[in-house]
Amino acid sequence: MLYRPQSLGEAVGLLTSDPNARPLAGGVSLVAMLNARLIEPSALVSLARVAELHGIVTLADNALRIGAMTRHRQVAELSELIRPRAVLRQAAAAIANPTIRGMGTIGGSVALSDPAADYPAALVAMSASIEIAGSSGSRCLAAADFFLDWYTTALAPGELVTAVHLPPPADGAGVYHKLARVAGDYAIVSVALTIETAGKICAVIGACGPRPVWLETANAELARGNVAAAGDLLAAASDPLDDSRASASYRRRVIPRMLARAFAEAKALVRAL
Amino acid sequence: MIGSMDVMLTVNGEQRALRIEPFETLLSSLRDRLRLTAAKRGCNQGVCGACSVLIGGQPARACLSLTANCVDHEITTVEGLSTPLALSPLQTAMVRAGAIQCGFCTPGMLITLTALLEERAHPTREEIRVAVSSNICRCTGYQKIIDAVAEMVETSPA
Amino acid sequence: MTDIHTSVGHSVDRLDAADKVTGEAQYVDDLYRPGMLHGAILGSTHAHAKIRGYKLDAALAIAGVAAIVTADDFSTARTGAFCKDELPLAKGKTIYLGEPIAAIAASDAEIAGRAARAIEIDYEPLPAVLTIDEALAVDAPLVHEDLVNYTKIAPSFSERNVLWQCRLEEGKIDSAWAQCDVVVEDVFETAAQHHMYMEPCGALAEVDRSGRLTIWSSCQSVHLVQQRTAEWLSIPMGRIRALAPKIGGGFGAKGGLHVQHLAAALALKTGRPVKMVLSRVEDFEIVRSRHPARVVMKTGAKSDGTLLAREASIFLDGGAYADESPTVLSFAVLMARGPYRIPHLRSRGLVVYTNKLKAGAFRGFGNPQVTFAGESQIDRIAEKLGIHPVELRLRNAVAAGDQWAGGQTLQACGLRECLTKLRDAVEAAPELPFAPQHRRGVGYSAFAHISGLLSTGCNIYLRSDGSVAVNTGVVDIGQGSDTVLTQICADALMLTPERVSFASPDSDSSPWNWKTAASRVTYMAGRVVLAATIEVRDKILRQAGEIMECSADDLEIRPGGLVGLKGVAAKTVTFAQIASHAIARLGGPIMGASSLLFDGERLDPKRALIEGFAFGNLGAYTFGAQAVEAEVDEVTGAVRVLRVWSAHDVGRAINPRMVEGQIQGGFVQGMGYALTEEMQWDESGRLTNPTLMDYKVPTALDAPLEIHPLIIEDPEPSGPFGAKGVGESGLIGAAASIANAIANATGKRVHQLPMTPERVLDALIGED
Repeated sequence: MLYRPQSLGEAVGLLTSDPNARPLAGGVSLVAMLNARLIEPSALVSLARVAELHGIVTLADNALRIGAMTRHRQVAELSELIRPRAVLRQAAAAIANPTIRGMGTIGGSVALSDPAADYPAALVAMSASIEIAGSSGSRCLAAADFFLDWYTTALAPGELVTAVHLPPPADGAGVYHKLARVAGDYAIVSVALTIETAGKICAVIGACGPRPVWLETANAELARGNVAAAGDLLAAASDPLDDSRASASYRRRVIPRMLARAFAEAKALVRAL
Repeated sequence: MIGSMDVMLTVNGEQRALRIEPFETLLSSLRDRLRLTAAKRGCNQGVCGACSVLIGGQPARACLSLTANCVDHEITTVEGLSTPLALSPLQTAMVRAGAIQCGFCTPGMLITLTALLEERAHPTREEIRVAVSSNICRCTGYQKIIDAVAEMVETSPA
Repeated sequence: MTDIHTSVGHSVDRLDAADKVTGEAQYVDDLYRPGMLHGAILGSTHAHAKIRGYKLDAALAIAGVAAIVTADDFSTARTGAFCKDELPLAKGKTIYLGEPIAAIAASDAEIAGRAARAIEIDYEPLPAVLTIDEALAVDAPLVHEDLVNYTKIAPSFSERNVLWQCRLEEGKIDSAWAQCDVVVEDVFETAAQHHMYMEPCGALAEVDRSGRLTIWSSCQSVHLVQQRTAEWLSIPMGRIRALAPKIGGGFGAKGGLHVQHLAAALALKTGRPVKMVLSRVEDFEIVRSRHPARVVMKTGAKSDGTLLAREASIFLDGGAYADESPTVLSFAVLMARGPYRIPHLRSRGLVVYTNKLKAGAFRGFGNPQVTFAGESQIDRIAEKLGIHPVELRLRNAVAAGDQWAGGQTLQACGLRECLTKLRDAVEAAPELPFAPQHRRGVGYSAFAHISGLLSTGCNIYLRSDGSVAVNTGVVDIGQGSDTVLTQICADALMLTPERVSFASPDSDSSPWNWKTAASRVTYMAGRVVLAATIEVRDKILRQAGEIMECSADDLEIRPGGLVGLKGVAAKTVTFAQIASHAIARLGGPIMGASSLLFDGERLDPKRALIEGFAFGNLGAYTFGAQAVEAEVDEVTGAVRVLRVWSAHDVGRAINPRMVEGQIQGGFVQGMGYALTEEMQWDESGRLTNPTLMDYKVPTALDAPLEIHPLIIEDPEPSGPFGAKGVGESGLIGAAASIANAIANATGKRVHQLPMTPERVLDALIGED
């Protein structure tokens, strides 16, 4: 059965009452898995008509609420995503290809938690948080605490990603670098890096383990300008696999090298401010 | 094929009543029920782009779209872009540039390029390249597909 | 279309372009027949296992299932073009994971798939061999225990897991090395590439009340579909009519059977039409791949750049069935010398069976593997001797009148012109801005290929309205042969192409054509189209002579379907009048027919030691040279190809724009082979990346910014209007050109394909 609820409450109700029902956002990942018979949901709950999930709103403190049904293409074109927030725009622009970017949604991608996808590292690097709705109400969770494992998030049964929140904008720079076999492929290694002129630095490595990889110690080394040390720490903390895209050892080898390049670029952008 | 859901789809400007399976893809509905076979099944995974159609004027993978979820939008297929008696300027440009070999990717390319030209009348070569990256072609190496649009843009009024 | 009456040399629009660009072109999955069932396949789940039994009950009980076939439904002996080792479905044993064991017909594809999964197979797993080395190991399990007893069409030197061996030697190789001032030795490894045509394989079979089958399939030859399906169904060929709808690419994979026999068997069993179209996953798993290879190569030269000696040892991984491995091996051995006057040559190879998907024909047919090796070594020698890579090639390039390895005389050879035009184009190209942390380089390759092979025929007749009907067995798989062959006929009669119709291939009525493969159609089918057209032309002139009461020698063909008296502008008679005269008054309908078996010079066993060659005769050599400008990212090892120049001696470009398309498309497919494409198997023999998510082909953003085809026309004396083939040539040198560009950029060489960022980084900074 395919349901098309018109409100968030109705959507949550449907998901709560049937644990084998799945929410359907852009369908880019879900329908592909359905076609490949990797999932067999009892029902799908389309979010297409749920108004609360659409729209991009600047909140009172200049935080930004990006509705879950926002397409990657819209995220990639958001004029508010400058300075450190540019990491999110670049990540969205690196997803797949223009057609897929017009179909896929930030909420759907985030809820899937594919470690090789582009949002997780970027959202952690910019201290984003994930707005979640369930039968007991709404909550917000730091992105860093949301992506737990391969295709596993902190969502409880019946819960739904409703939006992504970006903290108020700061001065600085953000870059997202992605190494892939061909244009639009999933990442072999990705680096999401934000530098605030006020001092905060956050480097996050994607596609090198079940969740985004970052360390306070590595960020501290970066703040001191010790890029090589930061890279080594992150490589050691990563947990990549051998897969069709690359070997684990190659990924670990490349992390410090790509980090150095991302750091140099971000620093140059900060200097140019 | 038996179906269990009744929907009304708007396809190429016409209302079409269909009885479908709940999880049926738009690609299956278009090809097997409506016999609109221009959209092709190249991978059924959304990667190759041969299934591309316009949904609400935007290029979309029909193989990744559930028919039951497409009822709110206008669906346009290549059949809807073609007129019986003449080729469109884009179609003519593709033919003249030698942008067609086996032709299997061509319908999907037309969808992508039609949407591009709707959005901007004079895309740069790089913008054309980016748009074309939505669709895989194994025959042409892409050069003449990009040439077709670039030449069309060059010779069209500013 | 065009009002040009001499269309050879003009970039006439494709005949089928309008159908394709409106979405009206019909490929096999677009065909629907009343009462049609859908077919599905059950593939094995073991790389090597005995099949002790099947349980079909649960599957047959599913509502909507009409029939199931297994090996028990076929009564044929093993067949194969070169080594008879293959059966229609796995019998008693499965020898690769995914191998079709059963086929099901049901009312829709979903039910057919569900039924396939409900079939129970009792397997007894056996140890498998998955690599060349495992297959060659002294105590290796045997993929085909009965190999020595299989019928082979030529001496094969088969033993254990070695299917075929082949060698070619000329000169005195062992003493030649001492005369060389520089010798390079390397081992090259290449991976299995998949054709990845956009249209997955499929067939629709329908049987009529008299038991006659019509089979539409995505194929490269209607005649081979008819012949081989009849063989596997053990029925007379006359009971099968094979047709080709529009074909969505083939690149070699669709030259042999894929599912035609299964759709046909199910149609016979159910009495209803059955359409079976593979999913992309199945297409990766059960059709055929390019041969993974190891090439051990050694090349020696004098300090002035004269190449003296080449030794190549070629190991091909042929997968589970022989398919076209014997000819791929033979061709690789033949091409390993490269297009150079190297007097001392030892080229030998073997192909092994492994418990993986069979490898077979794929654009290049063994040439890309040996060219990757050989052309890498040419640039290495150039670098060691301080000679420009183009200059070194020019000093050694073959020319018309030279012999190819094995003794065939080159009737025409535009290689020198390819090299000089290439060099000039690269030198004239404006410099692109450099990117930080990227190293830029240019690499070259030169290569040859063939266009003449096996047989083809053509019938032509003049209709009573003066238009012409051309009938060949040629399947246009996307490369545009319908258009080119039409142009050849039209030009010879000075008609516009619209006045010439080209019949769709039909095994009932088309003259035999081997297949669309081997870059052979323009040359082979073009020759018979032209010959048949000339026969028609001569008859037209003779009939016109009867009408105008003069000798045919006084008459000439004029544009627009006219015959006139030489020197007298006003006196003409039309083709329509001539046709009517023939039908009503004299001789009957004007027809022409031509058939041809490739008739070039054969290999010379007095000149060279030749053993194990599986093909009869081939030739009409073509030549090319390619330059690639690439950029290597020092941080990651990722390679980007920026610009390509590719010069090809095609004899004569019948349709220049289509020739360009073949060159450009061939290069990009070759670039995928070089950089990103690799079919990967795990230790259990499972293909781990049978999807487009995991097997990556180039997108428009990966393709070079510019690919400049340079067409060189050095007429081939035996070719139609001097033309010969180009279909495979764009691909053949791509991996070598790119490897040489990487070496030029970084000073480091990669010897393994694909040249992934990891392999390039390992070469750049050493392995981890």
